[in-house]
Amino acid sequence: MRALRRDLSIYLSIFGMTPKVFMAYQLWFWIGLVLNTIGMAILVFFWRAVYADTDSVAALSLQQTLTYILLAQIFFPLTDVDLIFDFGFNLREGNIIHFLLRPINFQGMYYVQNLSSLMMRLILQIPIAVVATLLFGLQWPTDPATWGAFAVSALLGFTALFFFHWFLACLTFYTTEVWGLGVLIFGMSLFLSGSLVPLTMMPGWLQTVVLSIPFAQAIAVPVSLLTGITPLIQAPLVWLTQLAWVTGMWLVSALFFRVAVRKVTVQGG
Amino acid sequence: MSVIEVENLTKVFKIPQKDPGLGGAIKGLFAPRFQSKTAVDRINFRLDRGEIVGYIGVNGAGKSTTIKMLTGVLMPTGGSIRVLGRDPHRQRIDNAREIGVVFGQRTQLWWDLALIESLNLIARMYDVPPARYKQMLDEFSQTLDLGSLLKVPVRNMSLGQKMRSELAAALIHEPKVVYLDEPTIGLDLIVKERIRDFIKAECGSKGMTVMLTTHDLGDIEQLCRRVIIIDEGRVIYDGPIETIKKKFGKFREITFETTGLVPSLSLPPGCELLSTGDRKVTLRFDRIQTTASQVASAVMKQIEVRDFSLSEPDLANIVKQIYNGALDNGGVEPEAADARPAP
Amino acid sequence: MTRYLSLYWLFLTQRLKVLMEYRANFIIGALSTIALQASSILAIWVVMRQVPDLNGWTYDEILLVYGLITLAKSINHMFADNLWTLGRQYIRSGGFDRFLVRPIDPLFHLLADRFCQDGVGNFLVGVALVVKASVALGIQWTLLKALMLVAAVVSGGGIFIALNLLTCVTSFWIVDSVPVTRLVFDNHLFAQYPLTIYPKAINILLTWIVPYGLASFYPASYLLDRSLGNLAWAAPVAAALLLFLGYRFWQFGLKHYGSTGT
Repeated sequence: MRALRRDLSIYLSIFGMTPKVFMAYQLWFWIGLVLNTIGMAILVFFWRAVYADTDSVAALSLQQTLTYILLAQIFFPLTDVDLIFDFGFNLREGNIIHFLLRPINFQGMYYVQNLSSLMMRLILQIPIAVVATLLFGLQWPTDPATWGAFAVSALLGFTALFFFHWFLACLTFYTTEVWGLGVLIFGMSLFLSGSLVPLTMMPGWLQTVVLSIPFAQAIAVPVSLLTGITPLIQAPLVWLTQLAWVTGMWLVSALFFRVAVRKVTVQGG
Repeated sequence: MSVIEVENLTKVFKIPQKDPGLGGAIKGLFAPRFQSKTAVDRINFRLDRGEIVGYIGVNGAGKSTTIKMLTGVLMPTGGSIRVLGRDPHRQRIDNAREIGVVFGQRTQLWWDLALIESLNLIARMYDVPPARYKQMLDEFSQTLDLGSLLKVPVRNMSLGQKMRSELAAALIHEPKVVYLDEPTIGLDLIVKERIRDFIKAECGSKGMTVMLTTHDLGDIEQLCRRVIIIDEGRVIYDGPIETIKKKFGKFREITFETTGLVPSLSLPPGCELLSTGDRKVTLRFDRIQTTASQVASAVMKQIEVRDFSLSEPDLANIVKQIYNGALDNGGVEPEAADARPAP
Repeated sequence: MTRYLSLYWLFLTQRLKVLMEYRANFIIGALSTIALQASSILAIWVVMRQVPDLNGWTYDEILLVYGLITLAKSINHMFADNLWTLGRQYIRSGGFDRFLVRPIDPLFHLLADRFCQDGVGNFLVGVALVVKASVALGIQWTLLKALMLVAAVVSGGGIFIALNLLTCVTSFWIVDSVPVTRLVFDNHLFAQYPLTIYPKAINILLTWIVPYGLASFYPASYLLDRSLGNLAWAAPVAAALLLFLGYRFWQFGLKHYGSTGT
C-alpha cells in the first residue's frame, strides 16, 4: 500500500511536469494553430468538392463526413505517443541505463507521462476546435451517452496504441535512424488511424487491413462512436474488442522490450 | 610589410534587451532596445612573417572577437585590418585561401566521415594540387602520426586525436597565416607537448605567421617570443615574453593555514604580504632574493602553521597586476592601483 | 561553376559513403516519405472510387497534380534540406563560422553539407505518380509538353528552395526559424489538389504569393490541355525571381551575422 502511494506520488509529479514543458513553446503554439487550420481547410474543401454532385457517399452525408473528419482532426493527439524520439534520444545519450536503474516501473512511468501529454495536447486543441466550429461548421454531438462511450473507447484505444508504440520504439535499440522511423510511423498512422477517410468508405478488404492494425483503435473506432456512425448500442462490444487489443499489445510490447533491453545490456548498446 | 596590420580595431556589439514572455517578444520585434558593449576597443598591432605571437587574456577579454574579425567572420565596427594586404571581411573568400584556422572547441571536420574523406574535401575546397596534397598527407602521417587515424571517423576519436586531425585540416593547404584558438584545451600534458612541438616545427619551417590564443601559459612559453595581452578589449601589454617571465616568473606565492588568528608578521627581505584571511595568510616572495624555505621557517617561528602550499601566479593574476601598473613602475605593489596609467 | 559542380559531386559521394554505412537508416528514411505520401494517395483512391470526379478532375488527373508537386518538393528535400537546420545546428552552435573561414560560398557549403536521402523517397513517389497518370490518361507527349514537365519540376524545386531560403534566413535574427518556415512551407499542401476546389483567395495565395500552384496545378493543366495551363510558363520566372530575392535576403542576413555573430 505504502509502495503504491509512493509510486502514485511519483507518477503525479511526472504528470505535473509536462504542462511546464509545453508552455516553453508559445510561438510553436500559435503557428501550430495556423498549420492545423491549413490542414483542416484542405480536408474541408476537398470533401466539399467530393460532395459537389452527390448527396451521399457510402451512405454518409456531407455533414456527417465533415463532422467525422473534423473530430478526427481535433482528437488526432490520441495517436501522439512520444516514445520513439524519447527512446532514441535516451539511447543515444546513454541515459537508458539510468532509467532501467530507477526503482520504478519503466513502462508505467512512460504511460503516465504520455497520458499527461495527451491531456495537455487535447487542451491545446481547443483553439483549433473553435476554428473548426466557426470556420468549417463543425456540429458537435450533444448526447452525453455518446460522449461517455467515446471517452472510454478513446482511453482504451490510446492505451492500446501506447503499447504498440512501445513495441515500435524498441526498434530504436536496433537502428540509429530515429527521425526516419518516427516519420514512417506518423505517415502510416495518418491513413491507418482513419483520420483522412471514414472507414465505411473503404472497400471491405481494406477495412479489414486497417482494423487489424492498432492505429484505428485510437481514432476511427472512438470517433465513429462519437459521430453515431457506429450505433451506441454496440459500444460494449467495441470496448471489449479494444480491451483485447490492450491486453495483446501489452504482452507483445513487454516481451519485445525484454529482448531489446537484453541486447543493450549484453552488447553495451 | 607586415603580414597582419591592425589599426584602432574596435568592435561594439548591440545586445537586444528582451522583456519576458510573448508580449515582451512582440514588443522587442517592433521597438527593440539595445545596450552597447565594447568587446574590442581601439587595439593596434602588427605581425611580421614567421612570427608566432601569443594573444592572451582572461575569458571575455575580447580575444575571440579579435580572432573572428581577423579571420573575416565578423565585421569591425571601427578601425582597419589588413591581412596580407587584404580586408578579411570584405575580401573574405580571397582571405580564406591564405589562412588556416583551428577553433579549439569546435570541429571543422565532418563528424561521420573518416578523417581522410574530410581531408580530401578540404584539399579540394582549397584547390591543393593532388601531388602536393599527397606530399602533405605523407608529411602529416609522420609529424602528426596520422597514419592510423586516416580511416577513423571523427566521432570515434579521442580529444587528442581530434586535435591532431584539426591541425592537419587547418594546415593541409599550407596557409601563410594561422589562427589557433585554444589548440591544447582539455588535453593531457603529453599530448599538449606533442601538439606544441608540431606547431613549432611546422609553422617555423614554413615561415607561417601564427596567432595563438590560449589560457595555457605553457603554450605561450614554449611557442612564442612575443605576447599581446588583452583585457576588457584593450591591449595592456605587447612585447617580449621575456619581460613577462622576468617580471612574474621570479615570484612565487605561498599560502599558510594557521591554527590561530594571524598576528602581524615580520617578513624576510624580498617577501611581502598579499592577503590575510581567517586563519589563512598569503605571501609573495622574490625567488632571487630569498627561498621558499627561508620564508616558511621565518613564518613558522612566529605562528603555528597547520599546512602550506606554493603556487605560480596564474594568467588572471598577471593580467590583474599588469592592469594595476606592474609593468610601469617596476614594482608589483598591490597599492600601485592608483598609479594606473590613464586610458 | 565547374569548380562548384565538381565540389558538389565530391560532397555528394562522401555523403553517400556515410549513408551506405548506415544502410538501414537510408532505407527507413526513404520509406518514411513514401509512407507519408502513400497515406494521402490511398485516401484519394478510396474517395475517388466513390465519385467520378472532383470538380471535373478525375482520379488520374489528380494524381498528376499530386505527382508534380511531390517531384518539385523532392528537389528541395534532396538538395536543400539543410536550410531547415541552419539556425539549430549551425548558427546557435557557432558551427557557422566554419563556413566563413573557407574559400567557398557559405550558402553553397551549407546546402552541399548534407544531401538528404529522405527526399529520394519523395522523388520516386513523384516519378511513379506522373508515369502512372500519363499512361492512364494517354497524354500525347510533344516537345513542348516534355519541356514543360522539366521546367515545372525544376522551377517548382526552385520555388520550394527559394521560399525556404527566405524564411530560414530569419534564423540569423531569431532563435528558431523552423516555425516561420513551416508557416510558409505547409501551404504547398494546398497544391497537392487541383486549385479549383478552393475559394478564390486561396487560388490567389497559391498562384501569386506562395506560388506552389505553379509547380503542380498549372503545369498539370497545361499537360492536360486545360484552360489556365499557359500560366504554367510563369513558373520559371517566379522561381528565378524568388531565388534572386532569397539570395539577396541571405546576403543581408550574412551581413547581419558579420556585425553581430549570432
